[in-house]
Amino acid sequence: MTTQTDTPILELQEVSFRYPDGSVGLDSCSLSLDQGSRSAVLGANGAGKTTLFLHLNGILRPQSGTVRYCGGGLDYGRCGLHGLRSRIGLVFQNPDSQLFSASVREDVSFGPLNLGLKNNAVQERVHEALQSVGLLDHADKPVHNLSFGQKKRVCIAGVLAMRPEVLILDEPMAGLDVAMQAELDGILDKLHGEGMTIIIATHDIDFAYRWADSVTIMTKGQCAATWETQRIAESLVEFASYGLGIPRTAELHNCLVEAKLLSRGKSLPRSHCELLREIAAVK
Amino acid sequence: MLIEQCAYSNRWRRVSPAAKGLFSACGIVAAFLASTPRTTIILAGMMTVITVLGAGVPLRRYLKVALPELLFLVVALATLAVSVGWNGHLQCRLAGRAELHHVALVCGRSLGSIATLLFFCLSTPMTDIISLLRSLRFPEVLLDIMTLGYRTVFVFQEVIHDTTTAQTARLGYATPRLAMRSLGILAANMTMQVWQRSTDLHQAALARNNDGPLKFLEGEFCHPVRSLCAAAIGGCMLIVLALVRI
Repeated sequence: MTTQTDTPILELQEVSFRYPDGSVGLDSCSLSLDQGSRSAVLGANGAGKTTLFLHLNGILRPQSGTVRYCGGGLDYGRCGLHGLRSRIGLVFQNPDSQLFSASVREDVSFGPLNLGLKNNAVQERVHEALQSVGLLDHADKPVHNLSFGQKKRVCIAGVLAMRPEVLILDEPMAGLDVAMQAELDGILDKLHGEGMTIIIATHDIDFAYRWADSVTIMTKGQCAATWETQRIAESLVEFASYGLGIPRTAELHNCLVEAKLLSRGKSLPRSHCELLREIAAVK
Repeated sequence: MLIEQCAYSNRWRRVSPAAKGLFSACGIVAAFLASTPRTTIILAGMMTVITVLGAGVPLRRYLKVALPELLFLVVALATLAVSVGWNGHLQCRLAGRAELHHVALVCGRSLGSIATLLFFCLSTPMTDIISLLRSLRFPEVLLDIMTLGYRTVFVFQEVIHDTTTAQTARLGYATPRLAMRSLGILAANMTMQVWQRSTDLHQAALARNNDGPLKFLEGEFCHPVRSLCAAAIGGCMLIVLALVRI
């Protein structure tokens, strides 16, 4: 991990991209992501979240505008992309679109081997990555015998084994049951605790409100608004105007404050559990 | 799926695929070197016993997997042994004694080879076989196609299952005419899926820094040298057995 600096680790400046069929991917999209931060990107289907992520990993190249990594513009040459993709890991939404090998261990080793590492180092990384997602016992199992959630964790392990500085996850909670979501939540907290910058696309506003340091809303290929999560409760009306819903914890907390049942403290509850604890403390 | 289940759950799953490959190669060589039908039958029996008792593949599953191959063999045996002709009326002629001996030898050799190949594929998962071929320096493009082909078989199997279930739930297969129409839609849908998935896989490969052949870590197996020696000794014994005229 690199040391914390004021320069954003990733930055998009007025980036635009259109697909060959003419549909808009990104439209003058600007976004800045701090090192070591947890960011959530919200948006309706087709808003441009996946296109944004493909730009951050250098898979798509902006037709206008600039993508910057640690202050410098991306180098789209072979070496530049090799360096970028070894630092920025991207986990796709559908695990079946990402898993190449039918063996869990083989698939996780795919990224580190592409980095040109020796077999011993790759084995160590594969072991570590599978351990961190809790799938060490499944290392020799065939991928097609795993559950959807386990496949997602294999995808995350495959990217973690490359030891990226930034982890980008495209709708990681989609299709997971509550227990699997809690497990993934724990994995993300652990990775963030280790200093990793994490960016997540999600439709789950309550999760974004609880987990992220900042929330960005995308509409029609534009990064329409970005809030520090602590500030969302102050602007719920504006937040709701994007038609994605509002965090229920913030809404309920505001109601309780207005009814003078709770006081507005410095730190707002970010989850249902935190709000219940605050209510219990008042009793 | 039966082959898959056996390959991943047999007793010799962690035995080096190189050892199992060597033993199988010797088995096939032995089957072709055998000069009497009796020897080939003994070889086939031995390979079956090794697969069932050694590798621990359940006999019922073994027979289920072997049945289609055996049916082909019976058809081949019948066409070799019996000649059918038309000379104003239908004529059937059974091959002579010497010819029958030759037919029995050919079928025996096929049976021995089938038993040997069943031993290999029921005791070794496909990923291990591809890994073995990679270490034998097979062309990388073929191995990449095998890897992706094998993986996508299961992905598309799931897609086909989901699509046919959805079609059946809306009476898509209620009549022969509807069934034909549903099958056509399924084929069109699959074509689009193949195109979309190939794009996705390409992007996923790029995201993980791949710009050439697919590279994977080779599996670790228990006592590979010892297994290889045991396979070589066992294989040589099969060949010697084949050369002895029983």
